[in-house]
Amino acid sequence: MIELDRVSKRYGSKTIIHDISFHVKKGEIVGFLGPNGAGKTTTMRMISGFTSTTSGTVKVAGYDMATQNHMASQRLGYLPEHPPLYDVLDVRSYLRFVATAKGISKTQFPTHLEKVVDACKLASVVDKEIYKLSKGYRQRVGLAQALLGDPEVLLLDEPTASLDPGQIHETREVIRLFGSERAVLLSTHILSEVTLLCSRVAIINQGRMLAVDTPDRLQQAAEESNVVWVEAAGDEAAIKQALQAVDGVVSVSSSTLPKAKLLSFDCMVSEDEGIQQRIARAVTSAGELQRLERRKPTLENVFLRYVAQSSKNPE
Amino acid sequence: MRALNGLKAVYQKEMLAYFYSPIAYFVIAVFLLGTGYFFTYNIFLTGVGTMDQTLQNMGILLLTLIPVLTMRLFSAEYGGRTIELLMTLPLTNWQVVLGKYFGAVSIFLLMTLASCINLIPLYIYGNPQTLNIFSGYLGFVLLGMSCIAIGQFFSSLTENQIVAALITIPVLLAFWFVGHLKGLQSSVVMRELYVNLSFALHFGDFISGLFRSEALVFFLAVIATALTLNISFLKMRR
Repeated sequence: MIELDRVSKRYGSKTIIHDISFHVKKGEIVGFLGPNGAGKTTTMRMISGFTSTTSGTVKVAGYDMATQNHMASQRLGYLPEHPPLYDVLDVRSYLRFVATAKGISKTQFPTHLEKVVDACKLASVVDKEIYKLSKGYRQRVGLAQALLGDPEVLLLDEPTASLDPGQIHETREVIRLFGSERAVLLSTHILSEVTLLCSRVAIINQGRMLAVDTPDRLQQAAEESNVVWVEAAGDEAAIKQALQAVDGVVSVSSSTLPKAKLLSFDCMVSEDEGIQQRIARAVTSAGELQRLERRKPTLENVFLRYVAQSSKNPE
Repeated sequence: MRALNGLKAVYQKEMLAYFYSPIAYFVIAVFLLGTGYFFTYNIFLTGVGTMDQTLQNMGILLLTLIPVLTMRLFSAEYGGRTIELLMTLPLTNWQVVLGKYFGAVSIFLLMTLASCINLIPLYIYGNPQTLNIFSGYLGFVLLGMSCIAIGQFFSSLTENQIVAALITIPVLLAFWFVGHLKGLQSSVVMRELYVNLSFALHFGDFISGLFRSEALVFFLAVIATALTLNISFLKMRR
């Protein structure tokens, strides 16, 4: 439903987005992950048609954003980074404006309004002026606007930003509900959100697409450079030296645990075969081994690793 | 029909925005106060029952009030980041530009209509020439519509409303006073150019009951040019 084919964006001589391609299918919620300034919002804006592409094509529901803009935008619900609200209007008039612009007739409007007001829990504020609303409500009015008219494609730029934990939960449920029969692309910094909601993740940094895959597969891919965590007692320098000598250990960082004078070591390891046993032997030879654990990479590690890699070798 | 729906959506939103904020009330109030003052002053000063001088003064008043009405049209959309919504809804640039334009024109027509209250005492106590008044008001409406188109265009260039107004005012004043430059020019071509670009001279013709098609075409051309530039700029911004 959303297709990007070798999309680039240049401002003058500066290239913001380099040749990115990916797609979002119907019934799929894809998380768009990246640090601030990575190009998430620019990419979202290109998909929405707000910003033009320098090269490459963007298709929404099969329609080219550049040449069939009207057809494409009719099928798109878009929540920009800052909810685009008219402060002087009340929520109902605002949503009526969006509905009319989306081609919803006067007679259909009450049904559509009721649906989004229910979904976004806006019943208590529907007749209030928007400037009187709290940040959380503003965000939800923005979401309601995007959901209005049942668009086939939803584009949500940080939909849970500035919400409290309860509202975040509710909003995620709304996205999950709507996402089951639509194509949703949502950008976020919150990694747990991606694991909770998304069937696939696209990681972007410095305008380049680093990886597009399921959260599980991304975690697997990162497993080879895992961390082995060791808790031991003894002489810190001696244990550290012994660990560094082990074949396959890339780096060791140590810290003292506050309780029971225990030492904690994080070993970055590159090789997998028998590494835990070798580390155990090394620690026993220099001190007393208390615990040894293989750390599963969280999505956070995966993300940071991809971002660190791409920052190191930009070409 | 679809095309009209999009235009209607923008138009209704504009009208609501005008009346939910103090701008429309402010502009209408100042305009009516000014017009009332000029009318009374001119009638008592000259003792002649015409609208000629009053319409002239209303024209100048318009040059300073229209920018207040138009400055928010696009600048506020940029500032409030609502432009992102407006440009991604299934609306064409024409629908957005015309919807906004008609919104501002409606406010202007409303205040023009309200100023007609001055005609009541004029008709009761005087013997005005209806044709002159009619043509004067027609010129006034065309003048106002031209000023709105220009103000709306400048509003699309900046996200700062004050800057938008501050550019619009001198440009409108230049269009008003450019006719005076003709006395300083020896070249016939330049003189003709200055005369033909002048709001004041074209409007003056309407006031004196002279309905010239050139003047009508001039105002319509100004409106069309400004609105087309407005649309081109929105396209370029993408």
